[in-house]
Amino acid sequence: MTTPRLPPHPAQRADPTRPLTFTFAGRPVPAFTGDTVGSALHAAGVRILSRSFKYHRPRGLLCCAGRCPNCLVNVDGVPNVRACTEPVRDGMRVRSQHAWPSVERDVFAVFDRFHRLLPVGFYYKTFIHPRRLWPTYEAVLRRLAGLGELAGFDEPPGDYEREHAFADIAVVGGGAAGMAAALEAARAGGGVVLIEAEPVLGGALRLRTRPLADGARGRAGWEVAAELAAEVAAEPRIRVLSGATAFGLYEDNLLGILDDRRFVKLRARQVVVATGGVEHPLVFENNDLPGVMLGSGAQRLMALYGVRPGTGAVVAAGDDRGLEVALDLAAGGVSLAAVLDVRVQTPESPVAAALRTAGLRILNGRTVLAALGRGGRVRAAVVGGAGRDAGASELACDLVCVTTGFEPAAGLLGQAGSRLGPDAATGRLVPTTLAPGVLAAGEVAGVAGLAAVLASGRLAGAQAALALAGGRLAARVAELTEALALAARPPAPRATLASAPRAGAKKFVCLCEDVTETDLRRAVAEGFDHIETLKRYTTATMGPCQGKMCHRPTIDLCAALTGRTVGETGTMTARPPAVPVPLGALAARLHEPVRYTPMHGQHVALGATAMDMGAWKRPLVYSSVEEECRAVHEAVGLIDVSTLGKLEVAGRDAAAFLDWLHPNRFSDLKPGRVRYRILCDDAGIILDDGTVARLGDERFLVTTTTGGVEAIEQWFTWWLAGTGRCAHVVNVTGALGAVNVAGPRARELLAPLTDVDLAPAAFPYLGAREGRVAGVPGLWLRIGFVGELGYEIHFPADYGPYLWDALLEAGRPLGIRPFGVEAQRVLRLEKQHLIVTQDTDALTNPFDADLEWIVKLDKADFVGRDALRGARARGSRQRLVGFTLAGDGPLPGEGAAVVTDGRPIGRVTSAKWSPHLGRVIGMAWLPAELARDGASFDVRVDGTTRPATVVTRPFYDPAGARLRM
Amino acid sequence: MSFLLPCPQCGPRDVYEFRWGGPRSQRPAPDSPRETWVAYLYLRDNPAGRFQEWWYHRMGCRRWFLAVRDTRTNEVAHTFWPPRPSDPTEPSEGAPAESAEP
Repeated sequence: MTTPRLPPHPAQRADPTRPLTFTFAGRPVPAFTGDTVGSALHAAGVRILSRSFKYHRPRGLLCCAGRCPNCLVNVDGVPNVRACTEPVRDGMRVRSQHAWPSVERDVFAVFDRFHRLLPVGFYYKTFIHPRRLWPTYEAVLRRLAGLGELAGFDEPPGDYEREHAFADIAVVGGGAAGMAAALEAARAGGGVVLIEAEPVLGGALRLRTRPLADGARGRAGWEVAAELAAEVAAEPRIRVLSGATAFGLYEDNLLGILDDRRFVKLRARQVVVATGGVEHPLVFENNDLPGVMLGSGAQRLMALYGVRPGTGAVVAAGDDRGLEVALDLAAGGVSLAAVLDVRVQTPESPVAAALRTAGLRILNGRTVLAALGRGGRVRAAVVGGAGRDAGASELACDLVCVTTGFEPAAGLLGQAGSRLGPDAATGRLVPTTLAPGVLAAGEVAGVAGLAAVLASGRLAGAQAALALAGGRLAARVAELTEALALAARPPAPRATLASAPRAGAKKFVCLCEDVTETDLRRAVAEGFDHIETLKRYTTATMGPCQGKMCHRPTIDLCAALTGRTVGETGTMTARPPAVPVPLGALAARLHEPVRYTPMHGQHVALGATAMDMGAWKRPLVYSSVEEECRAVHEAVGLIDVSTLGKLEVAGRDAAAFLDWLHPNRFSDLKPGRVRYRILCDDAGIILDDGTVARLGDERFLVTTTTGGVEAIEQWFTWWLAGTGRCAHVVNVTGALGAVNVAGPRARELLAPLTDVDLAPAAFPYLGAREGRVAGVPGLWLRIGFVGELGYEIHFPADYGPYLWDALLEAGRPLGIRPFGVEAQRVLRLEKQHLIVTQDTDALTNPFDADLEWIVKLDKADFVGRDALRGARARGSRQRLVGFTLAGDGPLPGEGAAVVTDGRPIGRVTSAKWSPHLGRVIGMAWLPAELARDGASFDVRVDGTTRPATVVTRPFYDPAGARLRM
Repeated sequence: MSFLLPCPQCGPRDVYEFRWGGPRSQRPAPDSPRETWVAYLYLRDNPAGRFQEWWYHRMGCRRWFLAVRDTRTNEVAHTFWPPRPSDPTEPSEGAPAESAEP
């Protein structure tokens, strides 16, 4: 049943001239551009938007401001979207969640009848025995309780952006106080970022459509808001983030902000929190029925969307705010069944006078005792004297507006370390302390009335600017302090309401988690009488609203039940996030730039398959692994090894420093020689491997594993820090490109291109030389990278493409082939070269890894010495050995189990098909007693076991003759 | 964790620019008993209060320095370069290694 909208108002967001259509539960719903899903559904007569967490009770619009949990829906597959703040888009698909078959008729609502079986804590007490049934319980509970479901992990979640922003002064909240603070701070010369959760600045002022009594010179609230917003827009030193929610205020004034699909981390020198207040519900029977609405929610529907919240209303007011709601409803054509003022007498005020003029009678000392429903919506309200059942009467209505509780929205202040305490005059929980660099302005600071709120905002803005600039602003701060004192007026005290205990329907304190007044009463009786334990036991305040609706009611009830004051009861700890934040936003992409080697373009042109290796892209395969391996074994191959980490270590103490860091020795390495290195920590665990080439007495080039160079550079410099050693470490990884030219014809290829004497006697295995190749200056290391005669040539990175092409061109008559990482791995496995972190783990020492030859325990102290001495003395329990596998079925995966007699005794770390050997080869961890040639064991592959045989020496060229050709 | 850390070289920076390097501790002398090594390698005091720790300015000057930080509040009292052996004494502002709150 669609109701006609109110005549358009200048502050209205919904634009009747731009209609659109979306669907709810598959049915088309008309809407206007500027509507929210909630406003459009309400206008279309939809009252039930969701089902509650535990009892599956119908729920509808309550706050209309994105604060309560009542309107969570699924929008285009995204769960838990708040209908009341989600702008409608043409064609969007909205459906309810957590209800079956529909939100109107949800069969699980039967739980509401069995509430006696489901008291608070039932979950902990019931489903713990017997323990083995927990998986079954869990599956059922997950289905019945909880919130929306993700559509599935196949759909891309979409990317969030991340922004690091900075400001002199950040102002959170774009209402009257926030805008005043931002303007004052900016005019004092500060760079300001103003963060407002709604798409438009103005805050609660925009809802006030009649002339304000105070500080507005006869204008309406929305007019004042519009004027301030225009001033803000004209101020170049203010950056406005609208539609952006500040969800966290962390150490040293870091604000976490969700701005649509952007996660903004804003660091500010001063933060002004001007988040205003939050209206919270009144606790009475059936206070969760659709049709029970906060007064501010009803005002929002009317002022922003032109939607009439109901046709006949009962209004419960705690102060003049509530009377204003009654006037607005009357002006919007809602007939008022009763206007209840819980105060015994309504003080004289323009609002009270206006109500009288409109012929509306105020019933003093009355409140709503219960809402009565039919078909999941309000049909009547029971009203009566607060605290007494007598004299209760039933009034027909379809809307119950409550405006009885209003608290500072102090969540961010609390996160930053502010304490809250009850204000002596009003009883509201206001900040009593502020963290350094954090200021509070406006209603969140307990200030009431437009004039005072504006003065409070200006003062905070000036104070923030004063803290940064100092000096001349002191006079301005003094002036504004006086202005605030003048504007301040005695705020209306908080309405105190104790609704009468009646045997009957549920009274909800926490809507998110379906916690009733009875639940809290029971929990306190069970001994959970501290506010923090009460919270944890009942889960009140722990749902999606994060206490916005129930923080104060829970404290009040706890105080009443324990006979303590609100001050003694205390508040719950405020923690980020203040509003739900999608995990995707927090995981917004990190700045991890991809790295390409200098020859990347060549690899692409050759059709190589790329693979990720750390941040690098490397060619995996060009043509076929078999052909690439054969070229290396029989002719010559060329591989890009630019991604190797390269550190230059130089200085008088460089040799001694390398001796200190490594288990093996480098001080006796002669210039022009290169040596394999492994690196251990002080626990004797292998961290890294590579080579050390001595280029001169005081100059070394150290190569590291591809992914490890950053960590190894840090490791080196950490051991250098504060030692006074004369050694320097420079990371030259990006500056140098590198290739390895390997194969029996490598010398034949390179000899014509270089001035380096490649004769075996002049440049033997493990030699290092400097000299040109194809005109490019290079550093040559003759190492056994892939088990054949080979030269690793490092050169200035810029020459990469030229040199690559030149080598391939020159090698064509020799049958050269570029080879990729896959062939490299096969070839290195044929030589049983281990890969650190693949074949080794966080417990591997060099003895276990069959590298005892590298550990020189006769050296003076070095990193890992004592641990390695102990390891040698204890011996190895497990050893890393090579193996061959019978048959040519599927390869064992990394971590495949090694078994004997069906018992796991080890695991496979690498396995490849070697085309040259015609069999599967690999590396495995075995018990030390099995680590001998010819020992046999089984490997589990795809559910079957296959026999394997230990081979302790390289599968290919075990004597290393081919390296020395 | 979002605090600012004053790098002695680069000034106050977001903690995410740095890598934590562990508590400042004294490496045992060679041939120390195994228990001493185990304590050095694996046991941490995890004090609630001020203590000295290593930081590396990964995204800045790429240097190691020391900081005195209160683990309860993440307040950084001061930062300084590691003293060299030739330095006559510890810098006067340097609290003793791994000191708890006074």
